[in-house]
Amino acid sequence: MNDIFIDVDYAQIYKSGQKIGGDVFLLSRNPDNNQVVCTLSDGLGSGVKANVLASLTAHMAHKLSFSELDLTHSAKIIMNTLPVCKERKISYSTFTIADIRHPSLEDIHINLVEYDNPSALLFRGCSSLSWNREKIDLQRDGAFKKEELSRSYLKMEVGDRLIIFSDGVTQAGMGKSLPLGWRVEGVRQFAQQQIERNPSISSHDLSQAIVRKANTLDRLVSKDDITCMVVYARKPRRTLVVTGPPFTKEKDALLGEKISAFEGRKIVSGGTTALIVSRLFNKKLKVDMSCWSPDVPPCSTMEGIDLVTEGMLTLSKVALVLEEKKQVRTLHDDAVKKFVEVMQDSDQVHFIVGTKINEAHQDPNIPVEIGIRRTIIGRLRKALEDNYLKETSQEYL
Amino acid sequence: MGKREKVLVKICVGTACFVQGGADLLLYNDFLDPVVLANCEIEGSSCLGMCKMSSTKARPPFVQIGTEVYGDMTQERFCKLLAEAVNA
Repeated sequence: MNDIFIDVDYAQIYKSGQKIGGDVFLLSRNPDNNQVVCTLSDGLGSGVKANVLASLTAHMAHKLSFSELDLTHSAKIIMNTLPVCKERKISYSTFTIADIRHPSLEDIHINLVEYDNPSALLFRGCSSLSWNREKIDLQRDGAFKKEELSRSYLKMEVGDRLIIFSDGVTQAGMGKSLPLGWRVEGVRQFAQQQIERNPSISSHDLSQAIVRKANTLDRLVSKDDITCMVVYARKPRRTLVVTGPPFTKEKDALLGEKISAFEGRKIVSGGTTALIVSRLFNKKLKVDMSCWSPDVPPCSTMEGIDLVTEGMLTLSKVALVLEEKKQVRTLHDDAVKKFVEVMQDSDQVHFIVGTKINEAHQDPNIPVEIGIRRTIIGRLRKALEDNYLKETSQEYL
Repeated sequence: MGKREKVLVKICVGTACFVQGGADLLLYNDFLDPVVLANCEIEGSSCLGMCKMSSTKARPPFVQIGTEVYGDMTQERFCKLLAEAVNA
């Protein structure tokens, strides 16, 4: 598994009264060569026309970034493809492409190409860094001025953040609360305050905070689409899920070693498994009788383990919730909710699956279908990977 | 009457017990006599291990009252056994 996680998320508020946005955000990960490409494009105007143009730009930028072509060359192709507005004599769409590669912990770099979007910001901890941008002039047919494309090559360290936003953010509040709008400087200061307040703030929360603030400056009647995207390079949040007793008793000790060696959060799922772990670590297992629902048995507490739940019923319910992408806040306050919260808050999940068959589950009198552990773990992993873009791995014991 | 020790009760909340009636027993606050309830210390057990024993004829859900483990537990039987244990 990777030792680095590139946390990318964005937040967006459409122009007041619009049902569709003119800012388009795209994200792709290519795990084979540790590449993440994110694109933010802003189409001229708002509504459907802007959305079509921004989508066109963003998808072109995206596809070209994954090709062997040089990023500057890709940007030129896009700019030459973009139509220039007849009246305004400017191109229809602006864009920022960030091509992030992270072959190792020490080597994370970004190829950043910006065209007419507000300048991106780079934060190391809570201090903002500035860098030199290489300017490339382009002359296009039909345009009245030379176009300027800026390109930068940035080295990123663990803990760095790159913030990219559309002009809806920098122009927020213009003519209302602020004469010239929020401007890049305002966004920089606000982002800095947010990071100072919460140094490990996630991309999701930071982008949300910036967008909400911009909307407030516009007095909740945004004059343009407000979009902000944050790239955060950090250590992955890892979670270990242990379920099922090992096939032979001799392997119990090995399970214990694996659990104590793991760095990150730990979940034990299964009554018998919990008893084994409790015996191995000599820790008391206590059932929390306040936390259950008619479909899900109570969870338990044990020192050193973050969550202890029952096995098959809880796991199949968790798989269902993740497959259907149910909102956490709509769930009962039980073991499933706690499990799902931990899953959503992790980047990498490792499963240790015990292969011992539980004789009690073979009883045909059991009223509900209790699946095969392996199948359920398979469903869980697929849902985590497909719906939540998590990395998962698995081993049998 | 001197102060008596409370009766220790463990309700199994393992998968097999939970789906075969154990969930109903967890509603003990609703159906148990408050006087009996006050004299019991009720807790859950992640698995009492009884469901895997081929020697027992009893079936889940299992409940441990004091040192004795009982199978085929229902709400009515649970009330009766607890009242007996408390008044013993």
